[in-house]
Amino acid sequence: MSKVKPAPLPPDTKIGGYRVVRKVAAGGFGVVYLAVDAEGQKFAVKEYLPSSLATRAPGELLPQVQPEKLSLYRLGLKSFFEEGRSLAQISHPSVVSVMNFFRENETVYMVMNYLEGASLQDFIITARDQKQAKVFRESTIRSLFDEILRGLRIVHQHKMLHLDIKPANIFITDDNKSVLIDFGAAREVLSKEGNFIRPMYTPGFAAPEMYRRDASMGPWTDIYAIGACLYACMQGYPPNEAPQRLEKDRITTALARLRGVYSDNLIEVVEWCMSLDPLSRPQSVFTLQKELSREGERRYTKLSVSEKVRLQFDTMVSDTKKSAQKATGAMGKQK
Amino acid sequence: MKFSVFQVSRKGGREKNEDRMGYCYTRQSGIFMLADGMGGHPQGEVAAQLALQVVSAMFQKEATPELADVDAFLSSAVMAAHRQILRYSIEKGMLDTPRTTFVAAVVQAGAVTWLHCGDSRLYVVRQGELLARTRDHSFLEQSKTATAAGMKLPERINRNVLFTCLGSPTKPVFDVAGPVALLQGDRLMLCSDGLWGSLTDEDITYHLGHKPVSDAVPDLVEKALIKAGDTSDNVTCIAFEWETPDGFESTRGSISTDTVIDGVFASTVQAGWLDSELDDLNDAEIERSIAEINEAIRRSAAKKE
Repeated sequence: MSKVKPAPLPPDTKIGGYRVVRKVAAGGFGVVYLAVDAEGQKFAVKEYLPSSLATRAPGELLPQVQPEKLSLYRLGLKSFFEEGRSLAQISHPSVVSVMNFFRENETVYMVMNYLEGASLQDFIITARDQKQAKVFRESTIRSLFDEILRGLRIVHQHKMLHLDIKPANIFITDDNKSVLIDFGAAREVLSKEGNFIRPMYTPGFAAPEMYRRDASMGPWTDIYAIGACLYACMQGYPPNEAPQRLEKDRITTALARLRGVYSDNLIEVVEWCMSLDPLSRPQSVFTLQKELSREGERRYTKLSVSEKVRLQFDTMVSDTKKSAQKATGAMGKQK
Repeated sequence: MKFSVFQVSRKGGREKNEDRMGYCYTRQSGIFMLADGMGGHPQGEVAAQLALQVVSAMFQKEATPELADVDAFLSSAVMAAHRQILRYSIEKGMLDTPRTTFVAAVVQAGAVTWLHCGDSRLYVVRQGELLARTRDHSFLEQSKTATAAGMKLPERINRNVLFTCLGSPTKPVFDVAGPVALLQGDRLMLCSDGLWGSLTDEDITYHLGHKPVSDAVPDLVEKALIKAGDTSDNVTCIAFEWETPDGFESTRGSISTDTVIDGVFASTVQAGWLDSELDDLNDAEIERSIAEINEAIRRSAAKKE
């Protein structure tokens, strides 16, 4: 079995009236290129080229698929079409838009508008490294998510779920617009090397029902992920994974540390969105939007002395544990 | 109607894959089919493909958008398929006729009705338990029933031999069962003997009952192939899960027939039996998908302006 990733198309390759400038990203599903059309306008072109199922030698155009992988390859192609179909129906500034879809080189290409900027994840990492109490200002968070929620509402109106909302999939453009990207159904299908298809989720941002994969997924599943993104914007780190939370939930404690830094309302919204019980979350984006856009004076409840002591004690205990582990070199599970 | 469906067909150690499967649906009715072309006679794959084509063509004609009488439809469709295979062998001047097994399930009005002829099976699993499965038209399977009923069968018959199929000069024997009302989460699986021949009913029930069909089907097929080894028969399996009609649609490929416009019909059954490989997605379908997407892009762009 070759572990070699299929080679991306070299710069200046012509595909469907576009010229490849360079590769910008690659994942399990394939490769995304920056490409320009005849007028020089920039586009992001996503090539279906699942790395676990197809190979391509450097300099070649056509991917090779082994016969025994062909049916899976075609199945992934279906998901790729699914993504195209979903996105094609939506035309909203906060949702990445598909401009064209074509077949060439024995595979298919999806042309999207090219976004200049960085992902929310990049912003969070940069911000948290500044080591300030606030990762982002509350007003920034509220207006950012207001835009994202507008886009997500349209997605849900089309009876679709994103199911992989996370800071890496929220793009902030250089002209300060936030855009929901990567409706990666294709990548999901092809997430597993080896024989067959496994569901994919991002730890920390995936709601507990995503792990169960039962019928209980709905708008509230995406809303959980929105809550987790809000959390990441406030803490600078993703929350614990859902299964871990089911065992011992530290979210409330973690959020308590942010009291006084962020308003009570925002903290409550995060907790609400991230309820482990799907029914306890806001059931629609609209409900959440209403709560998040609620004007009025923000209340900041500082921690009481006893609460502070308890939190400090908590930190001390976990720090001691960590340093003890470091000292002994133990790799034991942190409980 | 809402369901998720998954199908896989893989060639075992045989020279060619004579199994065929497919499904089609209208807004209010769906049919799932599987045929296993028989070895020992010529062109089993033609017989299997013809059976699927004839039945799906009739379904398309009569499901408008519901079948008036599911039992009657299945019985007449399977006989039409049988006659079509015979006609084919006469036209080609064949000395022996191509033959196939056949199993089909029709879902409409929240209930399932099925028909089978030969040893391709249907399994119905509800809440992790086997609710029903078809009894093969083989001496082996029927002898169990006969012995249980105290009857004596001749000793020297090959018990795995089928006593009926489509395409044989004798009139096919088939059974129709149902309708069985479906509950949310019910799983139905149609499979060729390549699958059930190497796995136990318990195994099959377990996988079907404990995983989404998109996991259970590939897992079962893989297991069956591994277990049977190099000499494995072709393994073909199509399964679907019945879902609540009002459930929220995800981007993960559940099929909601509500989006099907009246008079429109969706099918995975290909025309023409010459395709040696029955792929999920052929070239024409790829072109159609691309055209559909570009059409949707144009519509969205027009709305924006």
